[in-house]
Amino acid sequence: MADAFRNTPPAPEDNGVMTAQNLAAALAGESQASQKYLAFADVADAEGYPNVSRLFRAVAYAESMHARNHLSVLGGIGTTTENLKSAWGGETFEITEMYPAYDAVAKMQENKSAQTSIRYALMAEMDHQGIYDSTLKGVEGKNDLDVKPVRVCPICGHTVIGDAPDECPQCGTAGSYFKEF
Amino acid sequence: MDEAFERRLPKPEDLSAMTEESLKAAFAGESQAAEKYLVFADQADEEGFPNIAKLFRAISFAETRHARNHLRVMKGISSTADNLAAAFAGESFEIDEMYPAYGEIAKAQKNAQASRSIKYAVKAEMDHKWMYSEARDKALDGKDIAAQPVSVCLICGHTVIGDVPDKCPVCAAAKEYYRTF
Repeated sequence: MADAFRNTPPAPEDNGVMTAQNLAAALAGESQASQKYLAFADVADAEGYPNVSRLFRAVAYAESMHARNHLSVLGGIGTTTENLKSAWGGETFEITEMYPAYDAVAKMQENKSAQTSIRYALMAEMDHQGIYDSTLKGVEGKNDLDVKPVRVCPICGHTVIGDAPDECPQCGTAGSYFKEF
Repeated sequence: MDEAFERRLPKPEDLSAMTEESLKAAFAGESQAAEKYLVFADQADEEGFPNIAKLFRAISFAETRHARNHLRVMKGISSTADNLAAAFAGESFEIDEMYPAYGEIAKAQKNAQASRSIKYAVKAEMDHKWMYSEARDKALDGKDIAAQPVSVCLICGHTVIGDVPDKCPVCAAAKEYYRTF
């Protein structure tokens, strides 16, 4: 891919500690900007501003390129085997520590919507952890995943390999809404 | 998005401070996971694992659902005019404060790739800032922006409305490597 470009994304580098911290913060900032703009694009569509929606989607994509560049300099892009391990590690942290802690606080503070948002995420991360785990075993034997569709609930993120259920077991959304990859 | 769909989303809520802190951190985590998985998908494609690439893209989409849910509960999604104002403020902060500070430190620590990643981002944020400013003026009058293509450089995120330049003025990538929205 590299020779097709007249330029390439910034390369991994041994960074000073302060620079590495700043890039990690910038990766967080760009990632959040990208997600906000995608959500804002849906609102613009709903309000009848298709061109503003397109602008938000384009700029979200630009922020994704910045996030990728920062991640590259930080040495965060490995081989697929390493990437699957890193993805599995992230999901595991969210399942075993992050979301249970946040859920306990939201329950204590009786914030109902927050609990719903946390539960939707936690349940889907369990799907992801299991899928990454079995995929990693395949890749270590040099095998790609089976060619089956991956389907995602657009409300709660519930993720299944193969057919969509009649309705989402986590949030009750009809299976016809699931997005297929 | 129809009403039945909308009803299933977690609703905006008055949050206690600690729960709000939790959701903010979860939004940052989900946003970064979504971006990382997109990069990991490209890597899987390059290694000849198209189905693992598809899996990463599907799970990235699931994380965007979680990010949107958390953002919605925190009341971070409003009308298009207000969303454009929030987007403008975010870009302004990155241009005026965040990236200049990070750029100085990367220079002091002689981290050349980090400097490049930071420069690419700050240049593109300047484009985004005025695009959002003009779009907000229109939206306040109840008007959409003009139906022109918006194109983004795959390397540095340079964003242009209308014709694509022969090569990117920021990073010199060839024009074929712009993605048009």
